[in-house]
Amino acid sequence: MERARYNPPQQMNFRARLLVAAAALAFLLPGALAANWEQPSADLARQIAALAGPGPVQLTVENRSSLSPNEIPLIRRMLERDLRGYGVLVGDSGSATTIRVTLSQNAQGGLWVAEVREGTETRVAMVPVRLDLPADAAAGPNLTLQRTVLVTEPDPVLDAQVLSAPGQQFLLVLEPARILVYTQSTTLPATAGVAVIAHWTEAQILAIPYDRAFPRDMRGRMIAAQDHPFDVYLPGMECRGTGNLLQLALTCSDSDDPWPITTTQKAFYNSARDYFTGVLVPGFGMELAPFYEAAEIPRAVGPATLLNDVNGPPLLVVNNQLEPVNGAGDWGSDVAALHSACGTGTQLVVSASGTAAAGDTLRAYEIAGREAIPVSAPLQVQGTVMALWPAHDGTEAMAIVRRQDSNAYEVWSVAANCN
Amino acid sequence: MALAASARTRPHYGGTLRIEIQGDAWAPDSLARRLVLNTLTDLSDSGTAQPALAIAWSAQNNDQRWDFQLRPQVRFHDGTPLTAEDVVVSLTSACAVPMGSAAASGAPAVACPWNAVYVAGPSEVVITTPAPQPDLPELLAQTRFSVSKQDDTGQLEGTGPFRVAGFSGGALTLAANDDCWQGRPFLDSVEIFTHRAIRDQWLDLSVGRADVVQIPPEMLGQAQQQHLDILVSQPLDLLALTLDAQGSFADPAMRQAAALAVDRASLYNVIFQKQGEITASLLPEPLSGYSFLFSTDRDLMRARTLRGGAPARPITMSADPGGGTLQLAAERLALNLDEAGFAVQMAPPGTPSTLDLRIVHLDEASPLAALDEMLTRLGQTVTVNGTDPHALWLAERTALQNYTVVPLLWLPRAWAVGERVRDLRLSPHGEPQLADASLEAAR
Repeated sequence: MERARYNPPQQMNFRARLLVAAAALAFLLPGALAANWEQPSADLARQIAALAGPGPVQLTVENRSSLSPNEIPLIRRMLERDLRGYGVLVGDSGSATTIRVTLSQNAQGGLWVAEVREGTETRVAMVPVRLDLPADAAAGPNLTLQRTVLVTEPDPVLDAQVLSAPGQQFLLVLEPARILVYTQSTTLPATAGVAVIAHWTEAQILAIPYDRAFPRDMRGRMIAAQDHPFDVYLPGMECRGTGNLLQLALTCSDSDDPWPITTTQKAFYNSARDYFTGVLVPGFGMELAPFYEAAEIPRAVGPATLLNDVNGPPLLVVNNQLEPVNGAGDWGSDVAALHSACGTGTQLVVSASGTAAAGDTLRAYEIAGREAIPVSAPLQVQGTVMALWPAHDGTEAMAIVRRQDSNAYEVWSVAANCN
Repeated sequence: MALAASARTRPHYGGTLRIEIQGDAWAPDSLARRLVLNTLTDLSDSGTAQPALAIAWSAQNNDQRWDFQLRPQVRFHDGTPLTAEDVVVSLTSACAVPMGSAAASGAPAVACPWNAVYVAGPSEVVITTPAPQPDLPELLAQTRFSVSKQDDTGQLEGTGPFRVAGFSGGALTLAANDDCWQGRPFLDSVEIFTHRAIRDQWLDLSVGRADVVQIPPEMLGQAQQQHLDILVSQPLDLLALTLDAQGSFADPAMRQAAALAVDRASLYNVIFQKQGEITASLLPEPLSGYSFLFSTDRDLMRARTLRGGAPARPITMSADPGGGTLQLAAERLALNLDEAGFAVQMAPPGTPSTLDLRIVHLDEASPLAALDEMLTRLGQTVTVNGTDPHALWLAERTALQNYTVVPLLWLPRAWAVGERVRDLRLSPHGEPQLADASLEAAR
């Protein structure tokens, strides 16, 4: 878990948000990468033609970027084709005009640079290019964790939930100072390990009147309610979503009431820190240490509650007895239970330890007795897992991932598919 | 940038982190200033401005009038609220304070990029600039534009995540600001031990007396051999030769001859132990993407031709104060110039000379703001006409064609990190972001 910077949101207009969603969508589709080069190739060819004019040229293409060497011939062919459209003919080794194209890279992404040399004169053209890469599913011995990127936000996200109304689904994204409400407008078919790609359209923004400094590692929780759409829990504040999902309103008040952590337990949250105090309602009749997350595991003798302790290994509360969990030494601080048709039917999705340079991982475990048994391969995260909560219907987990490359926040739903 | 390799879980609160540095704790661009003071803006990893003490800004009049809205409910460490007047006083006084090596050498202040700063409302500050300044929000993230005020006892008060708690035994102690607008830091306190030799720093790290210590670029290989946990920044320090365009170097051809005579490869291979990036550009390659367009090749024949048969009048050369490595580099450059026919005499470090070997720190992390910053720090008066890479390249080429600045190497900043430190990252400025770090608790 890495720190988050919680500045008030810089407004991103609706069109820009759609573009972000569309861009994220494009990166998930096979063949999209190849298509990415069409526009920069056309732009660079146009600029080269303006400098060189029509006629024969020699062309060299050098890669100084993170592009795979396999992609360079493709880019070269595109450039040759686009140049031909302007009457610039590549191939004449005797030509006095040489064009050296360098596929470079800078802080903003790719940068394609063309040096057009005629005699002693060199003129330069440049085209910025977007670069990106995908990775979506991780198969394991028993099940495969499958992620779906729902939306990408520029600002910190604390939690998200997909809620349903007749004939329509809504995605609610909780940020420190607002809730973004999206409606589902299209659904694309499954491709490349991505189960379903939903296209969410922003429909409403609900402001949260959070008028105190955000804690450095701020957390928040959104939970579907019975008699109103949802409740939101923030450090020192509680909000209630009222109305209906098509036209929501939000009422908030200062509150230190406990947050629901399982179907049966609530826990007091330390508003000045990033963990639950250990005081539960109704509790287990024992003193508990502070913990980050809790998860409920159904058992024949009654549910066990796993508490991911702040200062020690995860603990399991079974029949009002406290037992440490073995095999959880590399667990991170976030854990969420999900129910599937695989294995015992309940898995814990855990943000695992790992080297930061490689990014975080998510992995599914089952708890057999006091043992944590990994049942999926680690799902690589290109960044940091900032939050992990159970989804509303319990069949998925909602993960918030801060991308290492862009610092953008992705909202993932994570499901378990049986192998 | 690299991150410390450690188990990743939510950060723990508490503890004192000890960091050791070679220099002064409160120098311009220093780590302590960034922990105690805030600026109107911060830089994202990609170099764009993001809100800090200002929560919003807008430009008018062709980017020559900038309106900054201040964050509400920000308080200085003494509890007094931040006002627009405080910001105006800080920014105004910033233009009178020399920065970087200029401060050490007593050189005059670097000009601020504005001609007026004034209060436009209780939480509103307006800055006007003499020319379009589209990157002003990024420039305001530099430490020289930090916002501070003096309390009744003369002590400097900031709004940052740590406050100054005391200085004793060669250590500056900073304590967590519980009411920080960014949220309380995870650490209870930070102790910065100053003027520590590198070998002493590494020894302290090895025995657990220090948590974070410095690694000079030329010692990065050695640190890797010792298996230290290392954080390395992008290239942030430009090693450059500046030429005084008077006297022996009044003729641009002579300056060009000197530029062609320098042997960057030997500096890189021998003095700096293959760390950093050979360059002839004012921006590092990862930032601009085009620095390869500036040739780094040595051309001694052409240098000699350009210099011609002019009698070799003695030229003085000095290096920035900052240790033996710079002096070694300067002496090697003097040999290069001798080979081209120049007669170079070494002067004591820090002495104004015809040739100065300088380390110029880059604060900015977006190409336009970075180029503006480097041009300013190196005394170049070229205007950048546009924000796209091509416009930046044209401006940079114009500046370098004067041959009063010869970029040589881009060097990273590096730190070694102890085992109990977690989630430590480097800022775009190359400083450890201690406010976001925490100390490992037993698990």
